[in-house]
Amino acid sequence: MACSFPYTYVSCPCADTPVPDPARKRRSRESPQKSTPERTNASSGQDTQEVKPPHTQDEQDEEEEEEQTFDPRSPRSNFSLYPPEQLLYCEDCHQIKCPRCITEEIVSWYCPNCLFETPSSMVRGDANRCGRNCFNCPVCTAPLSVSTIENVTGNGNQQGPWVLSCGYCLWTTLDIGIKFDKPTNIRNQLQKMTDSLSGPAFDTRSRQGSRAFGDLKSPLSNLASIEEPAPTQDGAGGLPAQNDQEVTPHLGAEARFATLKSFYRSQISETSTSPSDPMGSDFGFSSPGALNRLMSLYASSSRLSGLYGGNKKQKPKPPVMREAINASEGLRIASEDGDASIIERLASPDCGWDGVASLSQRTEQSPDVRFSHDLMPLPVLLRTKRAKRCKSCKHILVKPETKPQSTRFRIRLIALSYIPLPTLRPLTLPSSSLVPSPAPDLNALAPLRPVHVLLTLKNHMFDPVRITLATPSVTPGRVASKVTVLSPQFDIGPNSDVWDEALQGASAPITTDPRLRAAEKVPEAGKVWDKGRNWTTVVLEVVPGTLPGSEAEGGKEGADEDELAVASQQDEDVLEIPVFVHMEWDAEAQLEQQNVGKEAKPGDLVARELAYWMVLGVGRITASL
Amino acid sequence: MSATSNLRHSQTARPSSPHTPQQPLRSANTSFASASSPGSSFRNEDDAIIFEIGARCLRAGFEGNGTPVCVKRFGPEEMRRAADYRGWIHGDIGAGPLPKPVNAEDWVRDYELWQPDLKNVDLGLVEDKIERVFRETYNQYLLTDAGTSRLVLALPALMPHPLLSSLLSIIFGRWRFPSITLLPSATMSATAAGLRSALVVDLGWAETTVTGIYEYREAVTKRSTRAMRALMLETGRFLTRLASGNDNDEEDDDKEESSDGDISVGFTYCEEVTAMDQTISIPSPKNPEHEYQDLPLSDMAKSVEKVMLAPDVPECDLDDEEKSIPLLVYNSLLCLPPDARGICMARIVFVGGGARIPGLRQRILKEVRLLIARHGWSPIRGKVVERQRQRLEELKITSQTNSHSQSPDNIPAGTMDDEKEKSDPSKEEPEADFVDQKLRRQNKDTPVLIQGILREVESLGPWAGASLVTSLKIRGTVEIEREKFLQYGLAGATRDLEQPVPDRRSGLRAGDRSSWTLAGWA
Repeated sequence: MACSFPYTYVSCPCADTPVPDPARKRRSRESPQKSTPERTNASSGQDTQEVKPPHTQDEQDEEEEEEQTFDPRSPRSNFSLYPPEQLLYCEDCHQIKCPRCITEEIVSWYCPNCLFETPSSMVRGDANRCGRNCFNCPVCTAPLSVSTIENVTGNGNQQGPWVLSCGYCLWTTLDIGIKFDKPTNIRNQLQKMTDSLSGPAFDTRSRQGSRAFGDLKSPLSNLASIEEPAPTQDGAGGLPAQNDQEVTPHLGAEARFATLKSFYRSQISETSTSPSDPMGSDFGFSSPGALNRLMSLYASSSRLSGLYGGNKKQKPKPPVMREAINASEGLRIASEDGDASIIERLASPDCGWDGVASLSQRTEQSPDVRFSHDLMPLPVLLRTKRAKRCKSCKHILVKPETKPQSTRFRIRLIALSYIPLPTLRPLTLPSSSLVPSPAPDLNALAPLRPVHVLLTLKNHMFDPVRITLATPSVTPGRVASKVTVLSPQFDIGPNSDVWDEALQGASAPITTDPRLRAAEKVPEAGKVWDKGRNWTTVVLEVVPGTLPGSEAEGGKEGADEDELAVASQQDEDVLEIPVFVHMEWDAEAQLEQQNVGKEAKPGDLVARELAYWMVLGVGRITASL
Repeated sequence: MSATSNLRHSQTARPSSPHTPQQPLRSANTSFASASSPGSSFRNEDDAIIFEIGARCLRAGFEGNGTPVCVKRFGPEEMRRAADYRGWIHGDIGAGPLPKPVNAEDWVRDYELWQPDLKNVDLGLVEDKIERVFRETYNQYLLTDAGTSRLVLALPALMPHPLLSSLLSIIFGRWRFPSITLLPSATMSATAAGLRSALVVDLGWAETTVTGIYEYREAVTKRSTRAMRALMLETGRFLTRLASGNDNDEEDDDKEESSDGDISVGFTYCEEVTAMDQTISIPSPKNPEHEYQDLPLSDMAKSVEKVMLAPDVPECDLDDEEKSIPLLVYNSLLCLPPDARGICMARIVFVGGGARIPGLRQRILKEVRLLIARHGWSPIRGKVVERQRQRLEELKITSQTNSHSQSPDNIPAGTMDDEKEKSDPSKEEPEADFVDQKLRRQNKDTPVLIQGILREVESLGPWAGASLVTSLKIRGTVEIEREKFLQYGLAGATRDLEQPVPDRRSGLRAGDRSSWTLAGWA
């Protein structure tokens, strides 16, 4: 499925332990595709699973699931399969850790473009984006560069308006009519411009307006109880009404949000009267319950109510939060003509298909953007360096250096130091004495014709490892290919000193040229193909299955082209072999375990085992024989 | 329902300090919160993270921001394995004709996070997707440590329980969020429009929901399957027909389906202009990379019209779940009590993906206006009723002609109109009642409520609403704490919906959250 065949993926064991849902009994992990009949777990290897007496229904379920063959085709497996080099290993839990079973802590923030580190206090203020001159093209996402419009004669001091231009799609900010006065601090300049585009006049005015409005309003709410006409209020109401007419169309989402927020804030502070208000409790003011009760106690006695509430007429009408009534408070009435202008613009010849921002372009922009003319350059998103911890034991797995320029890690426990690295390559068998046949084209495997692939496992640990491989004899999915591991059980040597091997090699008589030896070799059941210092190669015999609808399948005349195409679309023709790897080794007891187990002495060996599924992508099966 | 019904109460619950900047308010609140309910998450200094999750996309950002930091869509690209970069090699995966017409259901399934019908949904897969999209959102866009701050989810008010349970358990199980607050998206849309009452029309993916909100309470909800999903299918069919051209008529209509190029860009082209004879050119469905094909803009509009408005189908032929949108709006208004109706009809808020289709909102409002003009606010209609009314009118006419002393210009048509207006309380001209007058004098300082006219108010959307509400330090009714959820799951929620409300009224603040409720989601 990845870029090229062959490839290997490792499934993180965390997929077998789903998040426990406390509410209900675990629902079964069955994928919809698992309706296919249960495949026998018959494998060429020894099945290490012992049959336990079933105790309860639950346990039976569990066991069934454990026995279930890993299906690389299930949509869920896409989320648990990782290339081996992306996995980590927790030394405390002795388990493979994928991005799903770690927690992450941010160490530092930096801009991937200028590699400047952003202090954590400024990250939020810059909206998680670079605050300097780094921008991405809104059309094609390539980085933009600052350049002048006028090519001034002297190279020394370039003058004049500056623009951001894209080197890939030749988009410049001139397309949207933006020039900069200075080549530095572009982000700020742009910010000012966008503010002015979305009506800064309105923004300041409205804020002042609403503030003035609030100022007028809050004394009024007291006055209201005296039932006095308030002529000033009309004036205040009139002003925003004017605003309403003028500026509604230009108000951006952020600006409108700000006005709404200030409106709600003023409403809240207005309506929540002083705690001495006897009616407070009626509206559930969240003053502490005790105080509230006390207040209502006092309020009930008419004698004291005068002290606190004062005017009795205030009682029947406590201030209630109202809704926004004009644009200065964030209300926006849809215009009558509606989207006529948009429709006109859509239909106009100079807009066309390319004039409309595509979906991926729009997701990065503010929600109002619709046309490609409205696209703004995007400041580069910051990136983070993150430390990673094991989710279950909090053991730290990865700790990078803080500096953005440094690519080094203080701690990094990658899984490949613990699990053998699987590599796959096709076996080219010399056909008797003729010229060696070319390697089979992995992108076009002929169905029903056996292929031999070599699986090499390379050990990176300093201890020898015993490996047991198991595969389902028939791969899951609609295209059933037969798979046999010729030697399912083998050992891999330790990752010892390279000199050891060299010395060993020297002692051994150099009789046969390894090439020659390989040429003579024939894959044989029960025999390891090749073995080195810390690696072992075994042979897998694969008989690719037939694609549904292909001529090889049955007596059908001519392949069903459509069905074949669908198969290739859904990657059904990709030959993937799930392999269960079980590894055992004797590790030196670690320090903590010495403390726990008292008998353990330094140098004691502890038997370890690790088991996981891995997926080998062999190739694509063609339709024709 | 009452998820934010406490909005008003908790809003008024703030310590009174007019025009104080945010910081002091916050600290004051902290002291209050700690006094009233220990363990309140308000003490958390970190800004809450707000997620809005729908079937098609996810918005995420910080409280107090007007726009989300990122919008992520669900699609086949998001379902790939790690280090599978084919999406980058082949370009847009959606482009180009499919080799074979596929089933319509399959066609859209890859792009959905979930379907309302959970029979065919693999919840484990949904969990996987949610986990990945949350993790990526945090790592790429939010750039904070996941799980340290409060989490606020804006969710549709109707969520299947298994789905809600999966969602919560994956979030709680994966990260160490102290608590999750659920906010209903419809109410949040109303809040983001600055309104207390509104009729929120959510032209969503799987279904269109019309929610009447009165004083932050959901009063009525009606839904219809005429939504963006149906529209996508229709557009896909339309483009298939276009691609197949003249040579073969049309393969079986419903089942056969083909992808239209870029799946959602099609949305923008769906137009609601019936009389538009210009042509636009879109990339040809046959060969999107190279060819363009001209087609009249109105063709696009037709599919929108067919899906959303169902112009040719009589009302009686429509199933309950597939009423056209204007009818849905009208019916929900009809269900509301007259007072609420008057207020809500002047505050119609359109949200959701469909609200972006230019012209659609105006068209819907026009149709609703037409429906109101035709039927008034009486749910009773039919031939018999009509006959009866005519008979009554005749009676009236005869009686009027008998008593000729009355004003002669009062023609029968006028009475009929009067009657109609009478039946519409929101349109009713208030009589000069002395009580009313007094009331009006009292309420002089409160602005006059606009009501009784159809009016559309624009909203910033549920995400912005949730951000607004959260930044004002208003607590939702549904605040799920980590430990309690992990212990009992959804079953731990108290079923008693009414319980929190009286508590709050007496100022006891809902028994300091020793029990939590699912409120409207229960």
